[in-house]
Amino acid sequence: MLDSTTGRPERAAALRCEGITKAFQGVHAVNGASFDVPEGQITALIGPNGAGKTTVVNILSGAMRCDSGRAFIGTTEITNRPSHTIARLGLLRTFQLSRELGGLTVLENMLVAPADQAGESFVNLLLRPGLIERQEREHAERALALLDTYGLYDHRDTRARELSGGQKKLLEIARAVMASPTILLLDEPMAGVNPALIELIGGYIVDLKEHGVTVLMIEHNLNVVEKICDYVIVLAEGRTLATGRLSELRENTDVVKAYLGEVIDAGASH
Amino acid sequence: MVYYIFTLVFFCFDYFILAMGLNIQYGEAGILNFAYIGFVAIGAYFTGVFSLPSSAGTGQHYILGLGLPFPVNLLLGGLAAMFFALIVALITLRRLRTDYLAIVLISLSLVLYDFCNNFVSLFNGADGLYNVPEPFAKAFGLTVNSFIPFFACVTAVISLLMWFVMSRVMRAPVGRTFRAIRDDEVVAAALGKNVFLMRLKAMLIGSFYAGVGGGLLIQFGGSFNPTAWLPGETFVVFAVLIVGGAGNNIGMFVGALLVETLLIHLPAFLPEIPGHPGLIEYFDNAVVGIVLMLMLWFRPQGVVPERLRRAASFGVRSGLGMLPQAPIEPAALDRP
Ligand SMILES: Nc1ncnc2c1ncn2[C@@H]1O[C@H](COP(=O)(O)OP(=O)(O)OP(=O)(O)O)[C@@H](O)[C@H]1O
Ligand SMILES: [Mg+2]
Repeated sequence: MLDSTTGRPERAAALRCEGITKAFQGVHAVNGASFDVPEGQITALIGPNGAGKTTVVNILSGAMRCDSGRAFIGTTEITNRPSHTIARLGLLRTFQLSRELGGLTVLENMLVAPADQAGESFVNLLLRPGLIERQEREHAERALALLDTYGLYDHRDTRARELSGGQKKLLEIARAVMASPTILLLDEPMAGVNPALIELIGGYIVDLKEHGVTVLMIEHNLNVVEKICDYVIVLAEGRTLATGRLSELRENTDVVKAYLGEVIDAGASH
Repeated sequence: MVYYIFTLVFFCFDYFILAMGLNIQYGEAGILNFAYIGFVAIGAYFTGVFSLPSSAGTGQHYILGLGLPFPVNLLLGGLAAMFFALIVALITLRRLRTDYLAIVLISLSLVLYDFCNNFVSLFNGADGLYNVPEPFAKAFGLTVNSFIPFFACVTAVISLLMWFVMSRVMRAPVGRTFRAIRDDEVVAAALGKNVFLMRLKAMLIGSFYAGVGGGLLIQFGGSFNPTAWLPGETFVVFAVLIVGGAGNNIGMFVGALLVETLLIHLPAFLPEIPGHPGLIEYFDNAVVGIVLMLMLWFRPQGVVPERLRRAASFGVRSGLGMLPQAPIEPAALDRP
């Protein structure tokens, strides 16, 4: 998976950042982050609170514009392109604080996700009602199957705002999966969920990888990183501090100082 | 008596149409269109000038004057409002969000109002248009009195047709995407929805409804002038929407019945209070305001709340036990 001498991924990069910077009123949230996300693997993006991880995800997904630097999906440049364009290139993301579509049911949240729905055009509404109905039925079947997988089937008719915090996290991931991503950015998918659910979500993420999805996940729990992530990117003060396998990063004193510290000892001896 | 009742029937169905148009914009797509009455006015004026003969010799000043027959002029009036919405949307909708958009739109409706009021050669200024031909009056030999029940029924039929179309739109994926944008446009965009384009669609179809509702107003009364669309009138349509229940078409009808018919027009037919002529009418707006506050306090979802679209309505055949995919076991985590 990784080239043993350089520690860099030998696969093609599915997603690449080159010197991304972003400042908020003088605060350099991201300050020259550069990294490759290898295709078809699970990559962890770790770093201290305020390191700029969420900001990087916001920039990559088009939710925010960056000040300088470039971003690519494969060879396609996506720097500062609008969210919806980037989503249509197959890059989907979840949010650190779940953002459910509160007034819609859980099933409807799922049904919003597929791109290019015939029923989003008035012309089709007039001329091709049969096509729309067929598509809706297919989407609903797939959505219900996914909801079943993610343990939300019984809540299919519940308004999303009435779900619990953990259920919202699950819905958030399921909804992104419903959009058939090739690259999935997960912002702390396991924050605030119970240990059993952490295991479950970890299982779903591994399953996505097995279906060929490239995953980049922000994660503070190093046990999870160790178990499911193939590759790690460490971000500190808006810069890429190191990349590689977690075992290699443990020997990197910069990384240990900046982030891992005590945690790694505790993690290593669990 | 029959005259009174059918006037009330007309306003009920006309405001049903207006409320459906505002509902797709605000209730569904979340666009706070505080210029709504401006689009109604555009529809009314254009329906008028499409139907009136050339202005020479009428004693009025207006553009066009094409003398087109009834449903054609109404349709074109609706399209005129839609075209106006396109221009407004291209300027405002891309950059502005919610409250800022609302402020810009309310200013816009004030500008439009002053413009129509003072630019006489457009729609006859403060006097407005009058003597607009009554649809089918000659063909069916309708008198002044029989026209009112007749046209109230025409309006009812048109509103039911438009209700049929609107309920199809709201049940379709396009309606769902509108509501997704209303709930969280960042999420909708992250899922690949072109928020601007979808909002534009809601703006256009809603403005068509506004224009047709306005066109029916000028055809019913035969006249239309700036006193009929004071910018504050927008909030009467909002009151219909909020009382009825945003997001639900049936609610729009109930709201039109309660607010427009019972609160605004019925009191005009009540006997005068001796010694205080016109007093009752002065209370109209106060009563609407109070009702609105009470609704928002005690029943913000409206009389008829937005309905949930349940899984069963999608025609999926397989039940839970027959679903193709088994849940993934967390065992995947236990790999070495
Ligand atoms: N919208 C914003 N406006 C102003 N400052 C912001 C904004 N978003 C982030 N920041 C600042 O940018 C820095 C990086 O924030 P970011 O959310 O990217 O950190 P993070 O690495 O995701 O942290 P955490 O692990 O706590 O989620 C922080 O100092 C934060 O205060
Ligand atoms: Mg974060």
